[in-house]
Amino acid sequence: MLRLLVSTALAAGIAAAGVTGAQARELKVGAANVAKYLDPGRDHSNVGSQFYYNTFDTLIDKDHEKIGGEWRPGLATEWNLVSPKVMEFKLRQGVTFQNGEAMTADDVVFSLNRMYQATFPPYMVRSKDRLNNFEKAEKVDDYTVRITVKREEPLWETLVNLQQVMIIPEDYTKGLTGDPNVAEDSDYEAFSMAPVGTGPYAISEFSPGERVVYTRFDNFWGDKAPLEKVSVIHIPETASRITALKTGEVDMITNVAPDQLSLIEADPSIKAAGSVTPLFHVMIMNTNHPKLRDPRIRQALSLAIDRDALNEALWLGKAVVPSTHTMKEYGDLYMPELKTFEYNPEKARELLKEAGYDGFEITYDTDPVYYTNGLLAAQAIVEMWAQVGIKGKVNVAEKWTGNSKDMMTRNWSNPMYFADPFGSFGVMWAPDAASESEGRFTTDEAYRKTWDKFRFSKDVADRRAAYAELMDRIKQDPPVLPLYRPYESWAMRKDIAWAPKPGHIPYVLDFRAGAISFASN
Amino acid sequence: MLSYTLRTLVRMALTFFVIVTLVFFATRLSGNAIDFLAGEGMTQEDREILIRYYELDRSLWDQYFAFLRAFLDGNFGLSFIERRPVIQIVAERLWPSAQLLLSAIGLTLVVSLPLGMIAAIWRKHWLGSAAMVVAFLGYAVPNFILAVVMVLVFAYWLNWLPVVGNGTPLHFIMPTLAMSGVLIAALTRFTRNAMLDVLGQDFMRTARAKGLPERAVILRHGLRNASITLLSVIGLQIAGLAASGSVVVESIFAWPGIGDLLVSSAIRRDYPVLQFGVITVAIAVILINAAIDLAYAWADPRLRHQLKG
Repeated sequence: MLRLLVSTALAAGIAAAGVTGAQARELKVGAANVAKYLDPGRDHSNVGSQFYYNTFDTLIDKDHEKIGGEWRPGLATEWNLVSPKVMEFKLRQGVTFQNGEAMTADDVVFSLNRMYQATFPPYMVRSKDRLNNFEKAEKVDDYTVRITVKREEPLWETLVNLQQVMIIPEDYTKGLTGDPNVAEDSDYEAFSMAPVGTGPYAISEFSPGERVVYTRFDNFWGDKAPLEKVSVIHIPETASRITALKTGEVDMITNVAPDQLSLIEADPSIKAAGSVTPLFHVMIMNTNHPKLRDPRIRQALSLAIDRDALNEALWLGKAVVPSTHTMKEYGDLYMPELKTFEYNPEKARELLKEAGYDGFEITYDTDPVYYTNGLLAAQAIVEMWAQVGIKGKVNVAEKWTGNSKDMMTRNWSNPMYFADPFGSFGVMWAPDAASESEGRFTTDEAYRKTWDKFRFSKDVADRRAAYAELMDRIKQDPPVLPLYRPYESWAMRKDIAWAPKPGHIPYVLDFRAGAISFASN
Repeated sequence: MLSYTLRTLVRMALTFFVIVTLVFFATRLSGNAIDFLAGEGMTQEDREILIRYYELDRSLWDQYFAFLRAFLDGNFGLSFIERRPVIQIVAERLWPSAQLLLSAIGLTLVVSLPLGMIAAIWRKHWLGSAAMVVAFLGYAVPNFILAVVMVLVFAYWLNWLPVVGNGTPLHFIMPTLAMSGVLIAALTRFTRNAMLDVLGQDFMRTARAKGLPERAVILRHGLRNASITLLSVIGLQIAGLAASGSVVVESIFAWPGIGDLLVSSAIRRDYPVLQFGVITVAIAVILINAAIDLAYAWADPRLRHQLKG
């Protein structure tokens, strides 16, 4: 009997190994969402960010295994400041785009200036919030490029590593429509249907919203891609995604909700890998609403919310509740020691009393489905407000109310667009950024000065001090409460070794060399 | 006959105009597309830039008339998100949806006509009752329940059938069953009732008295006469299915069809795609209805003669 068992196990083992060897070449991924266009410059959505890193490179790459960014040569092999505001990049030689064109300084200058000096409206919008300080890129010779900034830039590497400034081929793009010597808006629109980059996988098939097929690009300049082919297929329904993984129709799936994890774990042939997403779900408060002008009212709204209870109830404790607007991913700028936000119902009651809160109704707007658990959180928050005597009401509507003067409070999210407080807090809460321009947050001269110190100080200690000051301002006169960082999971066949890397922006499906491997157990 | 056809066509055109107008204004009630297009953290200034880019700065009436003009020149615009012609986007999705619809209709006819006739002819026999039990069960189970249960049993547990997409004939089995479940139930019941009506008629007795074989009596005289009622039922049901039936089923089975497209473009407020998608479905429904109307005239000799005279 024992011998039978052993031989069966052996046979099964061999069979499994054989199958693994054959399938290691090709991977099928079932994704909850597939991008409707693929242009790393125009896009900053969570859906899109899944796809770009396999196909495109930036001048400066980074070690994504590590938090905090250890910079590595990408399409540039070295970079040096030649004057306080000019960085010179030596380009890697012998790089070809997936369509066979050689990459030269012209392509790099074109790619960078399409953002730095944007004329295509979606690029203008994308570049203003993060690349405003970048003036121009210029060619020195075929393999040397200089980038000029308006003010001395402490975040050079971070901002040259952005998805938005990934390098695309100039001639190919300009030749897509109209005049082949001019970059028309329609060229960029056409590019997003047939994207080409220098990365290890070419996009060989793109069916918007339905399917992205990657094929290994054999002339890639770096380490060869581990997979010959990867198909990412749209499977919107969670139950169908999990079934498809279980039946072997796909090898890996995205967006597994916390409450589905037990189903995955119960099955010996599949497993899950997850991480806390570099993104905050937040509550925003309109500092300019006539009834909420007194900061004590807003402080009370914030102090009344037991975020740990929300985490336990909605995320099975897997989300992360922050003490301030900070994330581990910021590296040196990660400042968990700041205690900007806390749960303190007694203090909330006191503040309400001091402020003379008379029981007027405070609305909390939410979309019914946009944020995972958004509506449930809204209902729980209003209950928590009731505990301290605030009369709250959930307003469910699909309309974005963040720019309405009648909006009192609502949910929103603050994603990390790049690994610096500027890439999350800054895009949302800097002077004249999203929140202020929508009229629900106002900055004064002092705030602007502190922001400026934070943004442009070259010394990390100065930046940290300035950020602490900003957080103190936010605490005294709160426009926002970060609720938690949601927890996101992927599931896959047991023999696949893949996990989201901590150095990436949210949701990147990284299949480059070293990112995925197959166990031969 | 000609004036009947003409009246049908005029009614079609009118219905179509109302739908087009409703679609235009209804899609715009659900919020500004810009808020859903650019992601989070956009300044007011950015909004203005994008509003101009997407040509949403024109007045509503202006947009409406431009939209109506599209029916003349065929330029229905670009998707806000994909930036390619909506006609192309919708066309890609049309055939997968049509395939599913046709296979569902085929299955429905093959199953429910015989089942309904059995239930009528042997209405007092257990066979007839059994047919009706099947019909009522099908009626009581909504398609998304049927679909999820099938996925659970035939894919998750048994691993017999694939769940994702429309690659092979095997992929059609579960979505077709899910789509046709309610339709089979309804049509079986209607076939039974229509046959019962006809079976008691005098001409049936005459046909039998002439010495026609029972098969010919049932099929030629019975079913042919019952088909007038059945046609209207089938028409309504198919139109309903084409309009909305596929949305849930397509989403569960990751079917790259038009239902899935409508849902995603509604969520992202991609008006041009949504409008054109809804209009395409509306045209399909109108065409189906018109075809049924004309088929009436063919099936009902009284109507046919009356039209001639």
